[in-house]
Amino acid sequence: MSPIDRREFLRYCALGLGMLVGGPVLTACRPRPSPTPAPPSPTPLPTSPPPVSPTPSPSPALSATPTVALEYPHLAVARGGEPEDLVRRAVEALGGMGRFVHPGDDVIIKPNICVAYHTYEYAATTNPWVVGALVRMCYEAGARRVRVMDHPFGGTPEEAYARSGIADQVRAAGGEMEAMARFKFKETEIPEGLDLRRCAIYEDVLKADVVINVPIAKHHSLARLTLGMKNLMGTIWDRPAMHRNLGQRLADLASRIRPALTVVDAVRILTAHGPTGGNLEDVRKLDTIIASPDIVAADAFAATLFGLRPKDLDYVRAGAAMGLGRADLENLRIAEV
Amino acid sequence: MNLALLPRIRRPSALRLRRAVQWGALAAFLALLVAARRGGAPPSLANLPMRLDPLTALSHALAARVLLPGSALALLTLALALLFGRAWCGWLCPLGTLLDIVPSPRPAAQRAFPETWRRAKHFLWLTILAAALLGNLTLVVLDPLTLVIRTFGAALWPALERLVTAAERAAYALPLLHPAVEALDRLLRPAVFPVEAPLYRAPILYASVLAAILALNGLAPRFWCRYLCPLGGLLGLVSKVGLVRREVTAACTRCGACARVCPTGTVRPDRDYASDPAECTLCLECREACPHDAIRFPARPSPAPVAAYDPNRRTALAALGVAALGVALFRSDRFSRRSPLIRPPGARENHLEARCVRCGLCVRACPTGAIQPALLEGGLESLWTPVLVPRLGYCDYSCNACGQVCPVEAIPPLGLEEKRRAVLGRAYIDRNRCIPWADDRPCIVCEEMCPVPEKAIVLEEATVTDAAGQEVTLQRPRVVEERCIGCGICEYKCPVNGEAAIRVFAVEG
Repeated sequence: MSPIDRREFLRYCALGLGMLVGGPVLTACRPRPSPTPAPPSPTPLPTSPPPVSPTPSPSPALSATPTVALEYPHLAVARGGEPEDLVRRAVEALGGMGRFVHPGDDVIIKPNICVAYHTYEYAATTNPWVVGALVRMCYEAGARRVRVMDHPFGGTPEEAYARSGIADQVRAAGGEMEAMARFKFKETEIPEGLDLRRCAIYEDVLKADVVINVPIAKHHSLARLTLGMKNLMGTIWDRPAMHRNLGQRLADLASRIRPALTVVDAVRILTAHGPTGGNLEDVRKLDTIIASPDIVAADAFAATLFGLRPKDLDYVRAGAAMGLGRADLENLRIAEV
Repeated sequence: MNLALLPRIRRPSALRLRRAVQWGALAAFLALLVAARRGGAPPSLANLPMRLDPLTALSHALAARVLLPGSALALLTLALALLFGRAWCGWLCPLGTLLDIVPSPRPAAQRAFPETWRRAKHFLWLTILAAALLGNLTLVVLDPLTLVIRTFGAALWPALERLVTAAERAAYALPLLHPAVEALDRLLRPAVFPVEAPLYRAPILYASVLAAILALNGLAPRFWCRYLCPLGGLLGLVSKVGLVRREVTAACTRCGACARVCPTGTVRPDRDYASDPAECTLCLECREACPHDAIRFPARPSPAPVAAYDPNRRTALAALGVAALGVALFRSDRFSRRSPLIRPPGARENHLEARCVRCGLCVRACPTGAIQPALLEGGLESLWTPVLVPRLGYCDYSCNACGQVCPVEAIPPLGLEEKRRAVLGRAYIDRNRCIPWADDRPCIVCEEMCPVPEKAIVLEEATVTDAAGQEVTLQRPRVVEERCIGCGICEYKCPVNGEAAIRVFAVEG
């Protein structure tokens, strides 16, 4: 297990205890991340709204969290405005970046930079200002280091980073673009995986204190849509192996990576000919950002932007069934901002 | 300044200057070659060494019947030969410098080879030009610059990358070294090595050819330059009327020191230690070795005397005959009618065979390793011309580097939008092996990868009964002929083992 889950676990414990002890001491009790990496914990724990998850909580300590969940919406949707403003409003509604990123954290932001073919207007790659805003917000929350990376399948990383416009915005925000080095993909066990049990995953994504997942919402002929869970495919080496039983395997992968925050970029969405795009007629400008610590909920909500139901996406169904998050949008607290 | 010390300093410093220039030129040549990869140096800078080569420029002009303004740079090298003879060979040529590094037998152990062997290089360049006149450029593979570029681009540099990656991986096993390895990797990639390194076919072949040329040094120093190098031969002929040339003064005591150190063996003891400017590389070794300061390099406007091995009418006629016969043999080759090769964008329509100087800069520039030097799949005539091998790499939809870097526009310098429309070939699906067609299992990788905005691969939904008797709904790919540009990413990414279930074939013509 990566230290992040340990840290999340500690935070929920402390928060729960704090609530029990009393409101005034709540903020004082929120622990700072320990300076030394926590030892791996034997079982992974769900990070986001665990109390109402379909599967029973594995730890009694988590029973204290309902009170925490009351504080924050499950999901925030910001509509109308400039990309950076949308991101700030959505994350603010979730409690601010400080809820996810703590001083001294090593943060990895994973946008979708799948090909080097087109500029951002074609909606094949994540909006560069959305990524730039997240980098800035992480630093504002005290992050020590913020890296942005993807593993493009068409064209070289350096070309894809440049053409997408993301490299410029990330550097302007003080972040680093990292080309994913082959020697850092490491065979990793996926203990909760139902189908995918082992996979070569980019080591740094597992070791980072915080992973922020920033997909762009777009069409994909097998998955139907590529959203948060599909975006995590950019962190593994052997992507073709995922295609058999894609929905379950994406959920399995998500169970291992567990991004702290998923921000779905729907400033522009690609409605056909994805994931590569290239035709402006397939692009719709929605000026929308969806943010949630629950990757399943974020994907479930994003599906509705395309007129689909959450259950139309295999990976959303698989993720909800595994208890990675919730797809029952009607029961979630959704903040529209 | 102490004037008495001057001569003693001056002499070794001229030699040191030459060595410094040699190392500098070799380093610059290799740096430009490394930077020739897409995203590196501007293409017109990366291909500058090739454009300085008068042999490839001349043969291209003859074969393609085109004069390229960019090739005018080669006149500089010819002008250099008119002024300083074969100084190119002694001071600048990267292969010459490599040959100077490789050890040779000491003068006492050297065998004497017949002087007439020196004619071979003249015969070679005459044959190259004669064949070029007849529209064939196959023998340009022997040009020293193309040799070095091909060998470094498709063999030695990728091999070095493998070594570095292995070292990085080994060092990364130690957590203590992580920051150092990461810092090194950031420094090296993508500037020096690619993030994902392409693979090449038969790199050991290219390395062996260079190794063989270097090994000839075991027979005599610069064996290649003396007897074989066609560029050296061409420059040698020009050097016959070169201005600055070696001269032995009356101070000579016939000690023979100069003859012993001459790397091209052109200092003749039987002719008063005179040398032939067509063979002298102005390396200054003799001047350094002479104990009596009897060797000068004055300007002499009169032509040098004819040597026994100089090309004559008979050499020219023989070269023409051999070239004509060779070209006729190529024309009777089955490949002359229908070449199965997939060429870089725009090159097929451009009659690449009669324009390509086989330098391999496009191979080096291609970011994905799609462009490979042809082996024998297009016949011997096409040897080492660029060919696309989609199973090794695809033509990147965001790249037009090959046409930009090509020094002779054999691959036309298409703009990116134009290049995206250039049709390299067409993809065909093998339904007997394609996963959804043959195995009734879902796979849409080719469609997913297709970079054409409208998708040249479309999916058809079909409900079928699979081998287990289950009814399944599948998406099956089909190629839309008029949209396919033959970039080959479908073939490259096809998850079927061995040969892909979707393959690109060259379009006819």
